[in-house]
Amino acid sequence: MLLSLNWLKDYLSKQDIKINAKDLAEKLTMRGLAVERISSGTRGLDNVVVGTIEKIEKHPDADRLQVTRVRVSNEPNAESLQIVCGAKNIAEGDIVPVALVGAILPGDLKIKKSKIRGVESSGMLCSGRELEISEDSDGILKLPKHSTIGQPLARLLGSDDVLLEFDLTANRGDCLSVMGLAREICPILKTRLREPKPPRFKNSNHRTSSIVKVEVEDKDMCPRYVARVIDTLKVTESPDWIKQRLKTVGIRPINNIVDITNFVMLEYGQPLHAFDLRRIESGGIKIGRCDKTMEFELLSGERVLLEPGDILIKDGDRPIALAGIMGGANTQIEDDTTSILLESACFDSTQIRKTAKRLNLHTDSSKRFERGIDVEGVNRASERAASLLRDSFEANVYHPPTDTNPEPAKPRSFAVDMRDIRRITGLYNLSPEKATDLLDSIGVPTHKRSTNIFIVKPPSFRNDLEKSIDIVEEVARLIGYDTIPERYPFSTAPFDTYHDPIYEFERKARTLLAQLGLRETIQYSFTSEATLIKYGAHTENLIKLQNPISEEFKVMRPSLLPSLLETYLYNKNRRSEGQRLFEVARSYEKDESNTETGAKETLWAAGLLSGNTLQESWRKNGEKIDFYYGKGLVDILVRQLSTVYLAYENSRDSKLLHPHRSACLKLGLNTVGYVGEVHPYIREQILETHDSVVLFELNLDALRKYERKGVHFKMPSRFPAVDIDIALVCDKSLTSQALIETIKSEGSELLESARVFDIYEGENIPMGKKSVAFHLSFVSKDRTLEENEVTELRDKIVKGLESKYSAQLRA
Amino acid sequence: MIDDIQRIRDEARNKLSSVDDLTELDRLRVQYLGKKGVVTTALKQLKDLTPEQRKEIGAVVNEARDELESRFEMKRLDIKRSDLEKELSRTEPLDVTLPGQYAVPAGSQHPVHRVIDEMVGILRKVGFSIATGPEIETEYYNFEALNTPDSHPARDVQDTFYVQSPVLLRSHTSPVQVRTMKAIDPPVQIVSFGRVYRADYDHTHTPMFHQMEGLLVDEDVSLADLKGVMHYLIRELFGKRAIRFRPSFFPFTEPSAEVDMQWNDGWLEIGGCGMVHPNVLEAAGYNPDRYMGFAFGMGIERIAMLKYGIDDLRSLFENDYRMLEQF
Repeated sequence: MLLSLNWLKDYLSKQDIKINAKDLAEKLTMRGLAVERISSGTRGLDNVVVGTIEKIEKHPDADRLQVTRVRVSNEPNAESLQIVCGAKNIAEGDIVPVALVGAILPGDLKIKKSKIRGVESSGMLCSGRELEISEDSDGILKLPKHSTIGQPLARLLGSDDVLLEFDLTANRGDCLSVMGLAREICPILKTRLREPKPPRFKNSNHRTSSIVKVEVEDKDMCPRYVARVIDTLKVTESPDWIKQRLKTVGIRPINNIVDITNFVMLEYGQPLHAFDLRRIESGGIKIGRCDKTMEFELLSGERVLLEPGDILIKDGDRPIALAGIMGGANTQIEDDTTSILLESACFDSTQIRKTAKRLNLHTDSSKRFERGIDVEGVNRASERAASLLRDSFEANVYHPPTDTNPEPAKPRSFAVDMRDIRRITGLYNLSPEKATDLLDSIGVPTHKRSTNIFIVKPPSFRNDLEKSIDIVEEVARLIGYDTIPERYPFSTAPFDTYHDPIYEFERKARTLLAQLGLRETIQYSFTSEATLIKYGAHTENLIKLQNPISEEFKVMRPSLLPSLLETYLYNKNRRSEGQRLFEVARSYEKDESNTETGAKETLWAAGLLSGNTLQESWRKNGEKIDFYYGKGLVDILVRQLSTVYLAYENSRDSKLLHPHRSACLKLGLNTVGYVGEVHPYIREQILETHDSVVLFELNLDALRKYERKGVHFKMPSRFPAVDIDIALVCDKSLTSQALIETIKSEGSELLESARVFDIYEGENIPMGKKSVAFHLSFVSKDRTLEENEVTELRDKIVKGLESKYSAQLRA
Repeated sequence: MIDDIQRIRDEARNKLSSVDDLTELDRLRVQYLGKKGVVTTALKQLKDLTPEQRKEIGAVVNEARDELESRFEMKRLDIKRSDLEKELSRTEPLDVTLPGQYAVPAGSQHPVHRVIDEMVGILRKVGFSIATGPEIETEYYNFEALNTPDSHPARDVQDTFYVQSPVLLRSHTSPVQVRTMKAIDPPVQIVSFGRVYRADYDHTHTPMFHQMEGLLVDEDVSLADLKGVMHYLIRELFGKRAIRFRPSFFPFTEPSAEVDMQWNDGWLEIGGCGMVHPNVLEAAGYNPDRYMGFAFGMGIERIAMLKYGIDDLRSLFENDYRMLEQF
């Protein structure tokens, strides 16, 4: 909403009041009516100044362009600007409008420093049309010779108006009008509202109802409709003062009828519409909901598809207006229109909003209906427009009009308790008199019922005031939030009232991964099916968005790994090598067992490792990262986060991971994670790298059930340990884990640890066999072990391995 | 005899001071402390004395021996050190300006999570607990229970991602407030945060971003408390600075305010807040006549951008390694 301060003054009892725009804007903002910008009254003229052309030269590389030097300051030593110009009508010495860098011309043309065909240009010389101050577009506008160089063009043109641009909240539809804003501004400027005198009409011979019957089919959709016939009209230009008012706030004057409906809408916030009476053929109009899908041409020329539910004005069965949004082409005002049906009405805001949104048709009218208009003011606006047409153009106004609801129900009055205002605002000393004075100052009447209770009678233009809490807010904003002290809450809630420890767990995982040298990323939760397929992720049970922002962001990702690979690629193309990335986030999939949303969200820690085991350096770079490196990281993660034992199994079913160089992590029968090298196909064809890339993901929701919460201390033995090494020859396919399990079960509680220290195949080892060497450590809690005890255990272990796996002690 | 011992000791001290190699030191050591050394011999002679003399002279001899032994040891270490220094002086020092190398390279957390962790820490200090909830939500929790019925002008369908009505991607973290209030009785004091989604993509909007919200419901909570908490939070995040509350409108709070903080020469909007609307309390099953509360919300990305001087929102989700490495 744009407010012209000159227009505003028409409705103030002190009309010659001096207004400090900046101060007013600040006060309005602090009252909840945010002023976004203050600009000079002629829109688009900020940063446009008067300049003089000092020099004109040809552009070195473009015949049609000229390079000018323009002085835009009266200071003797001021530097002139170099501006490239395409117009031919300029000469050295001309006084012209210059849009400086930073100006925003009408049509949202932003002036920036630029290079035009290689020549720097710091601004723009403007035509009258570009500035929307004249229709003349033949070249640069010439200003009078005596004009002061450097002064704002707006001042030269004698426009002393100031505009306030509001960013209003959804509850303040009443302020989408000069009158509504004036009501809020009066108490700030300490003046009173001065409404235009209600016009008087003589009863006419004919009534509107005798020419056009009005029938409201659905009262909920149209609580009030005022129709008025106006004839002996001539379509012509509006009076200058109306054109001026409209132009200042950026509305292009069209003709007297359209301009006056626009003027009254801006004045009172009541949208109006004028039908060409000739085109209403059935002798009546009906206001009701659309009952079938059909096409309709708006007066803008756009064809839209109407849908059941839309509110329509119909002539017989034929729609003639999309109620509250825009009229139809079939009844629009033409140059030869002489009689009109003037509509002033109130429509259901929810339905208007839905229709406007669906058709993406947000008009000045729909914006006001969506927020709700003053049902009591419907006829007043009709009368105002009629009187303007009558007084300026001698139009004949039919009176009284047809009004479907002349006395709409008054808003319900309600009680407000001062104690509520005090305890909610924290202003414990606020008196009822102060509160009611503030309300009165903006036209909200009250009367006292008891010491602490007063009754509020909300005026019809404030349809947002429905209950006590709304009045608390009004009082708080009028007295000023800055008067509310700062206090620190005292809560009776126990400190551990409610605590969802997933955050702690998640944070532990994030911290650990960062400590382990990985960089945390945050990836979008949505991706495309194509990306998922590209990286071999499964595509069953995907959750898809109905209204994605693009195909790229259409499905909720079922795994974090594809996005990590995308990030790897992004960085690889920027020559980042040796990436170590991770993300802790949720995956999404369909889950019918969730009756609320049908979705399941799972928290994962996922990562990507590439490059070498050591950071690239001037010395040595370690080895290529491989499965075991990734597994090492996952082991640390699992061990630090949980107390659970996870088994590693070969995972062959993945299209993303290498069939032989990857594993799934099993918690009992459930797979809770993966680690492995990326599938060679993806590495070669998609990632296009020789780098080995290792991925891992770990289901944190599953792991969290076994969260490591503390440490179970085990006293180290005071007696010396005995270490022995054994090497066994066994089948190549046997896992080290199988061997270690047997070693542990045979080794008794004296076996403290067993680890593999060498794997060997080749010379001296039969085909299909391998040698695995173990380092075993024995210790007792209560004595020093005898040599023969250890030898016996060792023999027992070897025997066990021999009988279970036919493993032979390597000679 | 005592004089003899003193003399021997002084003599050994003198000789020791001029020794500068280990062979000479060894020779001296044998001369004084060896099996046939002067001191050892003196000790052996003790047995010929009377018990009184033995006691008196014995103490002197032993003391001299102990002193000489430690002097010899110190001298030995001195010579060792100076030999080594001589050797080192012949080698070149390292180029200490070359990059260091450690097995584990540095990792880091994303700026958005750094801010979340910091804010959670700040709010936990003053009694807020953590609550979480799903990102795939229903219209009921995202809108209706938050006093944003279908008819509400603030309900902007175009901004919300839908899976299939009524299932949607939460457009703010406020559904967590409702879920929490439904799960536990008042009083509550929680903070929630996480990913939220809105169908908007340009240089100041990404379709996914992060929010943090606080909620406190109790019997005596006012705008004054809200002001205190907001100011505390902003001071902790950005250092001492003025704030101001500007009246605003949100369906789920009333009165509502935008919070601005002092930034350079002006004011900068940093979050929205207000007193929980009675309809929201009612929807959660709380008695609005008895309980009241405040709620506040902030965009994490905006705070991260201000804190770290990031000027393009979208760069937060590009995961450029050169960006990640700076955290």
